[in-house]
Amino acid sequence: MDRKVAAYICRGCSIGDALDIEALMEAASDEFEVDVIHDHEFLCGEEGCALITQDIQDGANALVIAACTPRFMTDTFTFDGCHTERVNLREQVVWSHEPNDEDTQMMAEDYLRMGIIKARKIDIPVPFEEEVDRTIMVVGGGITGITAALDAANIGHDVVLVEKETQLGGWMNRFARRIPHEPPYREPQPVDLSALIAEVEQNERITVHTEASIEGISGQPGQFDVKLKANGSSGEFRVGAIVQATGWKPYDANRLDHLGYSASPDVITNVEMEEMIATGQITRPSDGQPARKIAFIQCAGSRDEDHLPYCSAVCCRVSLKQALVVREMDPEADAYILYKDIRSPGQYEDFYVRAQEDSGIFFTKAEVTGVSVGGDGHPRVEAEDTLLGEKIELETDLVVLATGMVPNAADSESIRKLVDAEAVIAKGEEGAQLNKAKQTFEDLNHLTDTSLLNLDYRQGPDLPVFKYDFPDSHFICFPYESRRTGIYAAGCMRAPNDSQVSSEDGSGAALKAVQCVDLTSRGEAVHPRWGDMSYPDFALDRCTQCKRCTEECPFGTLNEDEKGTPLPNPTRCRRCGICLGACPERIISFSDYSVPIISAAIKAVEVPEEWDEKPRLLGLLCENDAYPALDTAGLKRIRHSAWIRFIPVRCLGSVNVVWISDALSKGFDGIIMIGCKSGDDYQCHFINGSELMETRSENIQEKLKQLALEEERVKLVQLSIDEFERLPEIINEFADEIEDIGMNPFKGL
Amino acid sequence: MAEAVLLKPDRKFVEEIIDSGGGDLKLCVQCATCSVVCDLSNDSSPFPRKEMIWAQWGLKDRLMADPDVWLCHQCMDCSERCTRGAKPGDVLAAVREQSVKHYATPQFMAGMVNRVRQIPVMFMLVPGILLLLAILLRHPIENMIGLGGGVHDEAFYASFFPHWLLIAFYTTLTMLAFVGLLGGLFKYWKAMKLADVTAGRAVGETGIIPSFIKTVIAVLTHKQFGKCTQRGNRQSTHLYAFYGFIALFVVTIYAVLDIYLFPALGLDSVYPFNLIHPMKILANIGGILLIAGCLKAILDRKKDAGDTAGNTSFDTIFIWLLLLVGITGFITEIFRFTVGADAHGGAMQYTAYAVYFVHLMCVFGLLVYLPYSKFAHIWYRTLAMVYAEYSGRTKEYAGSVPLAAVMTEAPATATTVEEPSEDEPDEGSEETEEEPESEDTADSTQ
Repeated sequence: MDRKVAAYICRGCSIGDALDIEALMEAASDEFEVDVIHDHEFLCGEEGCALITQDIQDGANALVIAACTPRFMTDTFTFDGCHTERVNLREQVVWSHEPNDEDTQMMAEDYLRMGIIKARKIDIPVPFEEEVDRTIMVVGGGITGITAALDAANIGHDVVLVEKETQLGGWMNRFARRIPHEPPYREPQPVDLSALIAEVEQNERITVHTEASIEGISGQPGQFDVKLKANGSSGEFRVGAIVQATGWKPYDANRLDHLGYSASPDVITNVEMEEMIATGQITRPSDGQPARKIAFIQCAGSRDEDHLPYCSAVCCRVSLKQALVVREMDPEADAYILYKDIRSPGQYEDFYVRAQEDSGIFFTKAEVTGVSVGGDGHPRVEAEDTLLGEKIELETDLVVLATGMVPNAADSESIRKLVDAEAVIAKGEEGAQLNKAKQTFEDLNHLTDTSLLNLDYRQGPDLPVFKYDFPDSHFICFPYESRRTGIYAAGCMRAPNDSQVSSEDGSGAALKAVQCVDLTSRGEAVHPRWGDMSYPDFALDRCTQCKRCTEECPFGTLNEDEKGTPLPNPTRCRRCGICLGACPERIISFSDYSVPIISAAIKAVEVPEEWDEKPRLLGLLCENDAYPALDTAGLKRIRHSAWIRFIPVRCLGSVNVVWISDALSKGFDGIIMIGCKSGDDYQCHFINGSELMETRSENIQEKLKQLALEEERVKLVQLSIDEFERLPEIINEFADEIEDIGMNPFKGL
Repeated sequence: MAEAVLLKPDRKFVEEIIDSGGGDLKLCVQCATCSVVCDLSNDSSPFPRKEMIWAQWGLKDRLMADPDVWLCHQCMDCSERCTRGAKPGDVLAAVREQSVKHYATPQFMAGMVNRVRQIPVMFMLVPGILLLLAILLRHPIENMIGLGGGVHDEAFYASFFPHWLLIAFYTTLTMLAFVGLLGGLFKYWKAMKLADVTAGRAVGETGIIPSFIKTVIAVLTHKQFGKCTQRGNRQSTHLYAFYGFIALFVVTIYAVLDIYLFPALGLDSVYPFNLIHPMKILANIGGILLIAGCLKAILDRKKDAGDTAGNTSFDTIFIWLLLLVGITGFITEIFRFTVGADAHGGAMQYTAYAVYFVHLMCVFGLLVYLPYSKFAHIWYRTLAMVYAEYSGRTKEYAGSVPLAAVMTEAPATATTVEEPSEDEPDEGSEETEEEPESEDTADSTQ
């Protein structure tokens, strides 16, 4: 189909007052020969849109709209069958620069050129559409999994619920009482899952497999092929998306030597205490006598760098509950609660107060320094930094260690290493690599067959974990997300939770899974580029099997064949373009985002040949946070240097280094890349895009050195979305630095 | 760090404190706001924060050996500002009740005179029977020792209950109680000293005599009460009752001297005093002050009904008893000048005797039960204040800023508004505390 480009320049929102629109139109039509060009006082109004619609009817199929930021009026300027390229004249040109100034005018012209070039080169994405199975598989039949299964079924999806035990219910089956989950949040409540379990069993849409384990999952969202062994027999089926709710295990108290777990049978964990409560008798395990002096040691191995560095959120409330139950069962029993901080958020303050009110529950903040066996043969607790202002000792009958939660996902990195080592050994590699693999195999052998999902993914069989061994799922921005598209984490394997929150988690993750099959069925991307219909195309004939793309993809999208050639799985893809940035051969492209498209945009900028006139800077700006921040700066009318030209990128990780060399040879004097924060508290929407760029820019610096160019010409900046006031400063400082360094020697060559 | 201390948490004791009005003590989270806002607290041993956690853990030994619980004058600054509603002021009051019970000698008296249900027996039956017994035994004794027609027996009430009997009866019983009290005070002093010495704190920085003098001055001026910021002018309430009681006490002593000492010295005994006798005037002023103080205390407690310790029977029985002593005393006096001036005989005479009898019962409850009731505070608090001076804990660190100055500048917490002026009626709940160095009889308004 012939491309017919139509360009529109809006004069509204003070654009017309600040720029010479006629000159702009002339530049567009003369230099780039757009087929149609119009200006309008109010392009987003009915009349303006009618103008565009008319042109489309007359054959225009690529639109360049030079008006406000693409983040506004998106629906208004979206037309079926046409690609719309937005040129941001409002926020990033007239609102942030001197009006009617030569530099501002040049900037607007450059942006228009870039827009037109892109419009010429971009193809409308054709969505990847294949038959999608809409079944949701829920792994784990605890309270989280049960809720997820019911919610997904109740909105019309078939559900397969997989549980390794003989019955549904998980941990809660073992507990007699639970933390209150409804007003007035004061008394421990009985546990009764029978109604929920009956609801699951009676639901026609839900298939329950108990005593089940997953032997393998291959494929991609919408087409996951699951091999399941349940009740002794194996089966295969296809599902569309997966909720992983595999729960938690208690931290191994055997590692808590200083708390006497192995020294005395009268030192037990909070889970063992639950079991004791369920028997109806609180006794000393050592001699079976009633336990009347019970010490609860909070944060046993939690918030401790040597054990679990995090707070498991529930142990405080569990101990409050257990103390109240103990007092209820035996009014002659005393409970001592030794805590670091009582954490009873929200309504649970009332629960804490309830426990405080009990005359037989004694509280003090304390660092427990040891539990020993006293002269009477029973545990003796020693603690310092107490509220009593002194070191104390307590004689007890029973010590309960409030141990934390370890997610049933924590071993995923080790399992991956084990699987990789096995592959190396099987392949018959030699030398150092083999030895290393053998060592790994030996160290991690105990994890054989412990994978929960057995994913057939090049990057390992389970969900990758992040900080503290929980799957990566930003608790505010991206809840339930994991680094495996279509697989959502919920409950205590996502974050330590009580049953109430776990249940809410189940609902949330179920909705994410449903969203995933819906979007996938339309060929659209899921979070965070939801609705994006482009997907990467691999020109595999030129692939050199360097494996950078398969290794760097944060979402494990690509598998490999035996030689190492990537095997794409389009519905696993989040469309971040990190593979595109990684590929040294530049064989990976999206129809609307590729190395040539961005290179062309870079080259479209008119770089003045004489330095004195104007230096030129290129800014590669992450679309997710940095671009909106620049818009906000414009909205606040904060000015920045007019020497810079910005090109939005999908993620800093999608920046291919060839763009840097293109820009340098084009004559740009400096290049600044602005992306999201990396590190433990990263803000990158694609997990590690900006981190990858950090690594790559080290290589870039090397290159610059080889070319005898100053390292400072290429700069990487990390910014969060609320730092819009800092952004213009960063740009201006960079402009000053480049001015100091001087002209790019390649300019004009 | 020092050796670990083996804690012996005592739930029963916690429950006793809760029953004595410290019902919210378990809510304390040791934020220390109470100790910071307390103007009576001292730098080296701040309270009531430490007492709160001792009380929570039922560490009876420590609380019983703690002078600080008695340094508190229950102005409720701490309770008003407590971030958790744990009411430290009430908790300390409850601890003091426990302290009185703990040091009660003999022990069995501790639990007998502080509950409303005990009133019929302990405050009516027991004094009633004993007084009746005394009246019955009057003539046999008089005959036996040949005292017949003793001094002033012709006086109106003396014909009903002669002075020798009055003095003998009350002196004997009060002395008995006083012996018990001394035992308690001695044990308390020893416990306080032992606690400080065990903890390695210095004691005896100030001599006992200077400590005592300082304390007496503090008591006479009610300096401590003056530091309250939250509950208005509690100082006046206590001052009325205190000086009312002192006046009556002085008059009583004078009366005894008038009857028995003056004749021996060849002076005229003028007892019973007429209305313009200086001692009578002092007695009447004292009586009015006593009643005013008690009424004010009762009204203030009504206003601050949220103060749990201010409404325990330990507290209430004492105030009402004191008030009744005052009221029955006045009625008795009025009868003396009306019925008594009239003629002997007639129904009114018996009414007058009946009121006098009730007055004597009230005085019995007040004086004989002193070591076991709230009235004991006059001794325990005084002793604790002397000890506080003696131990040196009241010494301020150089550079410490009197918090009263800071606190009165700043607005109170959101829930309370400070009284705008000192003239406003006092809104303090308080214990009406008496600090006279008296243990002797005070039935004086006749």
